[in-house]
Amino acid sequence: MSNRMAKKVTNWTKEMALYSLLRATLAKRKLDQKISKALGSGKKSTGAKRIPIKTGDKMKLLMGRYYIRAKVAEKDPDQKIAWITSGGPVEILHAAGVIPIYPENHAAMIGTMRMADSCCATAEDQGYSRDLCSYARSDIGSILSKKSPIGGSPRPDFLVCCNNICGTVTKWYQELQRMFDVPLIMIDAPYQYGEDRPEAIDYVKAQLQEMIDQVSQITGRPFVWGKFEDTVRRSEQALQLWRDVQDMLAHRPAPMNSFDTFIHLAPIVTLRGTQECIGYYKMLQAEMEGRVRNGVAAVEGEKYRLGWDNLAIWYKIQFLAKKFGEHNAALVVSTYAKSFSYQAPYRDESDILRSMAANYIAGYINHGLDYRERELLEMAEKFHLDGFVMHSNRSCRAYSFGQYELARRLEEKHGLPTIMIEADQSDTRSWSDEQVGTRIDAFMESLAARKSNAIK
Amino acid sequence: MDSGNGTALEVFTSVCDDFYATARAAAASGRKVAGFVCSYAPQELLHAAGYLPVRVLGRPGGTPRADQLLQAYACSLARSSFDAALSGEFDFMDLVVFSHTCDTMQNLADLWRSSRPNQKVVIVSAPTVTSGPAALSYYRKVLADVREQIEALSGPISDEAIRASIDLYARHRNLVQRLYDLRREHSELISGRELLAVVTSSMMMDKEEHLRLLEPFVAELESAGDVKAKRLPRVFVAGSVCQNMGFVTALEEAGCMVVDDDLCMGGRSFSLPEPPAGDPMDALVEMYLGRRPCPAFHTPGFDPGAFLVERARAARAAGVVFLLTKFCDPWFFDYPHVNKSLEAAGIPGLLVEVEQNLPVPEQFRTRAEAFVELLKAKAE
Repeated sequence: MSNRMAKKVTNWTKEMALYSLLRATLAKRKLDQKISKALGSGKKSTGAKRIPIKTGDKMKLLMGRYYIRAKVAEKDPDQKIAWITSGGPVEILHAAGVIPIYPENHAAMIGTMRMADSCCATAEDQGYSRDLCSYARSDIGSILSKKSPIGGSPRPDFLVCCNNICGTVTKWYQELQRMFDVPLIMIDAPYQYGEDRPEAIDYVKAQLQEMIDQVSQITGRPFVWGKFEDTVRRSEQALQLWRDVQDMLAHRPAPMNSFDTFIHLAPIVTLRGTQECIGYYKMLQAEMEGRVRNGVAAVEGEKYRLGWDNLAIWYKIQFLAKKFGEHNAALVVSTYAKSFSYQAPYRDESDILRSMAANYIAGYINHGLDYRERELLEMAEKFHLDGFVMHSNRSCRAYSFGQYELARRLEEKHGLPTIMIEADQSDTRSWSDEQVGTRIDAFMESLAARKSNAIK
Repeated sequence: MDSGNGTALEVFTSVCDDFYATARAAAASGRKVAGFVCSYAPQELLHAAGYLPVRVLGRPGGTPRADQLLQAYACSLARSSFDAALSGEFDFMDLVVFSHTCDTMQNLADLWRSSRPNQKVVIVSAPTVTSGPAALSYYRKVLADVREQIEALSGPISDEAIRASIDLYARHRNLVQRLYDLRREHSELISGRELLAVVTSSMMMDKEEHLRLLEPFVAELESAGDVKAKRLPRVFVAGSVCQNMGFVTALEEAGCMVVDDDLCMGGRSFSLPEPPAGDPMDALVEMYLGRRPCPAFHTPGFDPGAFLVERARAARAAGVVFLLTKFCDPWFFDYPHVNKSLEAAGIPGLLVEVEQNLPVPEQFRTRAEAFVELLKAKAE
C-alpha cells in the first residue's frame, strides 16, 4: 500500500472516530447546547412557542462532520484547503478535491456565540478600525487570539475571493494573504446597474478558466472536467431545493420563519456541490411539506407577514423572532437567504463555465437600486407581505447604502411600509434591546392600524 | 519668489478657495462641464469630447439632504458631495462620471443617478483587478461603451482628438511629476500646501490654462539655484482624498516639511505611466490600469507596506502622517499592515481620521506638534 493510501486510511479512521464521538456527544446532549449555538440551530424555546425544526439536528451532524474532515485534513499535506468567500465559485474547489472553508461562516458563528466583541477588540488592538466590517474583524481577531467557537478554522493552502458580495472581501483577503503568505485567486465580478452585461460575463468566465488552471497547479493534479460538471449539477440541484424550501414560506401560515432560514443556509453556503447538501435540503423540504399539509405555523396565529433585507443580526435572532412573534408577525422571505440561490437570466447548457459566470454575477447585492426595487416588489407580491424589515447594517456598506431610497420607493410608490433597524451583523456593542424593541412595537402598531383601516 | 510665480501660485490658491468658481463661470459662458467623482474617470475622453472636466468634492458644513438617503456610516466625501448635488450646487455640470472603486462610491453612483434625474450620470465599470489579459480586455470594452455614452451627448469623438487630449494630459502630468521631484530634492522651494494647491487647482481648471501657468512656474523653480536648506523634520503624507488643505498647512505650521505624498488629491492621481503609442483607447486602458493603485483595487503582487516604505525612504522622510477619511474601508484595511511595515523600517507613523466637511480639529494641531517633536527627538 502506498504512503498516500496509508495516510488516507489513517485520516479516514481519525475522521470516523471523531465523527462517532460527535454523534455520541450529541446523543448524550452534553455539548449539545454549545454546538447548537455555534452552528446556530436555535432550539431554545422563545416563549412565542417556536416549534423546533427536526432537520436541524441533522445539520449539527452534517456541519460537524464537515469541520472534522477539514480539521483532520489540516495535518495532511496532500489534502489542500482553500478559504473562500460565501459567493465564491466553490464548485471548482469541490471538483478538484479541495476542502473549502468559509471565514464568513466562521465569523457568523462567532457572532451567534457572542464572541464577536472580544474577537473584534483583539483586531482593533492591532490597528484594524472599528468601522471595518465586523466579520472581517471577528475572523482576523480570532486568528490572532485563537479564540473560536470551533477551535479555529484549519489553515489555508490558498485563498479564493470573489467580490460579487462586496469590496470588503477584496481587502479582507488581501490581508489574509499577507497573514498566511499563500496564493490568492481573485475573481472580479463587476457590479451591475442594469441588465447583466455580456462583457462582464465573459470577463468572469475568463477568470474562472484561469482559476481552474491555478487550482490544478496548486493541487498538482489535472482538473477533471467530468467531475466538475457533476459538481455543478449537484450544486444546481441543491440550489433548486433551497429555492423550493424558501418558496414554501409563501404558504399561509408559513411553515418556517426567515430567522430559521438564516440558520438553514449554512449547508448551501458551505456544502453546495456535494451530495450531502442535496440530501439535507430534501429532508428539510419533506419536513416543511409535512408542516404545510398539517397546517403547522412557524408563528402561532400568524397575522402579519414581513420580508427581511440584509444580513442576519446573529446575536439577536432569538430576540427578534420572539419580538415579532409576540405581534403574530412571521418573517417569510429575505434577500439574504436568497442571496445564495440567485440564477442569472442567461444560461447556455453547452457553455457550463459561462453559465456559471453569469450566476456568480447574478446576486442581489451585486446589483443596483432598480434591480433591488424590482426584487423586493416581487417578494412582496409572491409572499403576500405586509411590510419589510430593513437591517441597516453598519458592517455592510454594499448591502446597506441605498436602503433609505428603497424604503422610500416601497412606501411612496408601492404603499409598502418598512422599518429600518440600525444595527450590525455581529458586533453587539451598539445594540439596545429596548430601543429596537420599542421601534418594532411602534411599527407593528402602525401595521395593525393600517390593516384595520383597510378592513373598514 | 518673484512676482511672476507669485501670480501663478495666486491663481492656483484662489481656485482652491472656491473650487467651482472657474467651472461655473465657464458653464455660464456656454462651456460644457463634466464632474468626475474619482481620479480613475478617464478625463482625456471627457476633454476630447469638449467638456471641462472638474473633480467632484464635498464642501464644509452639514449634510442634511444626503443624510436622508445615505447612512451616517458613509464617508464624508460621499455624504458631502452628494449633499452638494442634492442642493443643486452641481447643476452646472452637464455630466457626472463615476468610476467603480469602493462599495460606497459604487452605491452612491446609483443614488446620485436616481436623485438627479436631469443630470446625465456615466458609471465606468472599471475592473477591480488591474492586471492580466482578462481585466485589460474587459476594461477595453467598458471604455468603448463609455465613449459611446459620451458621444451620444457630445457627438462623435475622433481618435485624433483623444490622442491629442492624452498628450496634453501627459505633458501636464510630467510637469506635476517634475514638481514632485523638485520638492523631494529641494523641499525648501515649495511647501506641501503650495504643491497641493497646484494639484487641486489642476483638477478644477481648464487643462491648457493650467499648463500655461504651470510651465514657467516649474521652470523658474528648477532654475532657482541653491536655497539654504531648512533643518526641519521631513514628513510624508498618505491617504484618501484630502480636499481640506488645512491639514497639510497645520502640519507644516507644527514645524515640519511635507516632502511627498500618496494622496488621491495628490501624487497618486498623477502616477499614470507614459502613454503608449498606437490606438488611443488601448493607451487609456494601459495608463489607467497601470497607474499607482488606489487601495480599492487589487494588483497581484503589490505590497502597499513595502511600497510606502520605499517611497518614504526615497523622500528621506522621517515620518508618515496618514490622513484617512473616516469610513474609508480600502485604506483602513491596508493601514495595520502598512503601519507595521513602517515600524519595521524605523519610520514612525501618525494616524489621523479626517472628516472632509469639518474644519481641522484643534486636537490635530496638538497631535501634529507632538509628532514633530518625536521626529526631532529621534533625529538627535
